[in-house]
Amino acid sequence: MADRSILFLKGHPFETSETDDLFLSAMKENCLYQYNHCEAYKNILDGLNLHPDSIKDINHIADIPFLPTLIFKHNRIFSMSRKRMLIRATSSGTRGKRSEIGFELSGLLCGLVMVMKIASWRRILSICPCNYVIFGYKPHRGNRTAVTKTAFGSTFFAPAVRRKYAILFKNGEYETDLENIIEQIVGLSRSVFPMRLMGFPAYTYFALRMMDDKGIRIKLKKGSKIMLGGGWKQHYSEKVDKQTFYQLAERVLGIQDKDIIEFFGAVEHPILYCDCKHHHFHIPRYGRVVIRDVDTLKPLPMGQVGLLNLLTPMVYATPMLSVMTDDLAVLRDGETCACGLKSPYVEIVGRVGLHDIKTCAAGAAELIKEDAL
Amino acid sequence: MIIEKGQRVDISQLNDIIIRMEQDICDTLAHRTLSVETVVSALDQLSQKIAFGAYDQKISELSSAHAEEYKEQVVRMMRRENIEYKIKMELGDDLRHAVMTNPPLGQSAIQVRPMPLGVILHIAAGNMDGLPAFSLVEGLLSGNVNILKLPQADNGLSLEIIAGLVEIEPQLSNYIYVFDTPSSDVATIKKLSEMADGIVIWGGEAAVGAVRRMAPPGAKIIEWGHKLSFAYISGYEDEDRELRLLADHIIKTDQVLCSSCQTIFLDTEEMDEVYRFCEKFLPILEGSSQMHASKSLGIRADKTLRRHFENMNRLLTRNKNCSGDCYQGIGCSLSAQTDSAPELSNMFGHVRVKRLPSQHIVSGLRPYKTVLQTAGLICLPEKRDALTDLLLRSGVVRVTRAGTMSALFSGEAHDGDYPMRRYVRITNVE
Ligand SMILES: [Zn+2]
Repeated sequence: MADRSILFLKGHPFETSETDDLFLSAMKENCLYQYNHCEAYKNILDGLNLHPDSIKDINHIADIPFLPTLIFKHNRIFSMSRKRMLIRATSSGTRGKRSEIGFELSGLLCGLVMVMKIASWRRILSICPCNYVIFGYKPHRGNRTAVTKTAFGSTFFAPAVRRKYAILFKNGEYETDLENIIEQIVGLSRSVFPMRLMGFPAYTYFALRMMDDKGIRIKLKKGSKIMLGGGWKQHYSEKVDKQTFYQLAERVLGIQDKDIIEFFGAVEHPILYCDCKHHHFHIPRYGRVVIRDVDTLKPLPMGQVGLLNLLTPMVYATPMLSVMTDDLAVLRDGETCACGLKSPYVEIVGRVGLHDIKTCAAGAAELIKEDAL
Repeated sequence: MIIEKGQRVDISQLNDIIIRMEQDICDTLAHRTLSVETVVSALDQLSQKIAFGAYDQKISELSSAHAEEYKEQVVRMMRRENIEYKIKMELGDDLRHAVMTNPPLGQSAIQVRPMPLGVILHIAAGNMDGLPAFSLVEGLLSGNVNILKLPQADNGLSLEIIAGLVEIEPQLSNYIYVFDTPSSDVATIKKLSEMADGIVIWGGEAAVGAVRRMAPPGAKIIEWGHKLSFAYISGYEDEDRELRLLADHIIKTDQVLCSSCQTIFLDTEEMDEVYRFCEKFLPILEGSSQMHASKSLGIRADKTLRRHFENMNRLLTRNKNCSGDCYQGIGCSLSAQTDSAPELSNMFGHVRVKRLPSQHIVSGLRPYKTVLQTAGLICLPEKRDALTDLLLRSGVVRVTRAGTMSALFSGEAHDGDYPMRRYVRITNVE
């Protein structure tokens, strides 16, 4: 695990091509570990007639089996004893099965350093206290969703004066109370501290739109930010183009484009993707991206749309070094972004979709729902 | 959106409408009679309107890749000739006209008078496009007042078609109420079902169960549940052609219909024959899949991802309950399985292949009798009658050729029944 440590603990977060060799050997290390410690993973490698040693250069990492996130929803696959796993996080599946992923101490440490480095690069770290408005779940016992954890965790980037949540857990169920949270925002805007709004983009957008409809116009304190993460998934059809969102935020809250920061990540791929000031998701040194053809799953060159496959050697406790998401994405040359980062960036362009499919075959509707990708 | 008395009304007025409806429905039942000719003539005009493109916009939005074909089918189905034929087939003379009995042994005669059920609540839970409108048409043809609850997933096509129908024939407005209230609004659905003499439910097990739980005790529930279909092969008349048609059927329907082939049964006891079939059939299926591939990247990606998941899951659980040998093609796959259960596939180009020797057809299929629908039969001509008979005896309700499993046949029954027969009642008058 030595190469993983160098990859995560040293250097600048966006030295990506510079760390190709390091990344490759860290992936091999991890792959070999999984091969020797996880029977399920060994079955897959053996079934594909692939041995970790046969991965010889950075392009070969695409050969490492890319597991669909659905695999982790159907199987509990761990490569370590339960007591060595510090956290078991569950994905925020809105319905049906949830995946459960184990993290070991050393992997979490890598993750923590990564998060701090990226946060300081994006100037999110601050010693000035803030009021937090969180468009996400309030953590409670028995709620292990990773989204809650990251949202709660990132309120420590700057010390919190108050935390307000838009999604509450009442009588065993989640409830959204946007009306109330809007009142809170208006109230907190009179505080001497800056405000940070964070959480699911869809809820943040709904709240801003409601405020706009009510004619609310606030000017938040300097240093206020909107931090978006957790995906648009539940309300995909409501997805707005980013420009509309930025204009809305400026009109309603007086927050500028540069103070809106977007993240993406998944439990199954805990690398923090944070946008640059031009709102592009450059690939950090901690991960790599393969875009795959939607019919053949063969890797595609830059500029072509396909399925998004994310790779990282960060975690050992679960064999998730290469996972296949259900996003359609395209890779762009980093040089085309004016922010100065050379690393390529990922653009998410859509999701795989059978969501509106109608069926009258017995059991089919249930199957499609249960396996909602 | 709601349609009440031919007018579109906002859902916010739901409660007022429900209060008014009770009285309006009683008035209609007491004073009006809907003649079959009124409905037939309106449908015939509607068919022309559709043919001339009045609904092309909505039809082109349908998820189905075969919107054109679909439109033609609808136009043909609603034409006067077809509707009149449907009524004749389904209701015959007995269920349309009053007759006097003429019993033996000098017993007294009584009049037999067929009547509409009265009020039918149609609950369509996201079946095929436009289905809610067809269900309503059957209710109208049998003379009933119809309350239709649209599925959430309806793209507005049903609503437009129904509005168009009332525009053509304003008399129908007293017989049509449409709601798009969500299924979770149990209170409303309960109130609607209390007004109904019969509740027609189209949907899967969950939807049917939910309706049963909220229907008033004793309510007549007419279930059109989800079904499973399969192909049965015992020799060929024209092997290449028959297998290609079967492959086209599988790919074109995405296997999401109740009549779509999910499993292919071979008349054999040998697994080797199953493996040989898979090797032969895979390239044929692949050819179809490439010919009829969806243009949507999202849909193709979803299908690919589902198959990739299957593959990975199969490798991963190698030593456990293996789901059979998998034959992976581009855009499709086959799995050879050792059991003989008619089973849902993973759809979208994935088919199961199993053994089912003809002498075990009935015993093998009986456990699934409540869900079986179509058997696409490919066999030697001299075996067709005997195999058809065995399939029907096992609980299958429809035997077709393999390429036409999902075709519509004018005059055919639906899941073993003529729907309109269930929408009338037989009354007696001394
Ligand atoms: Zn940039």
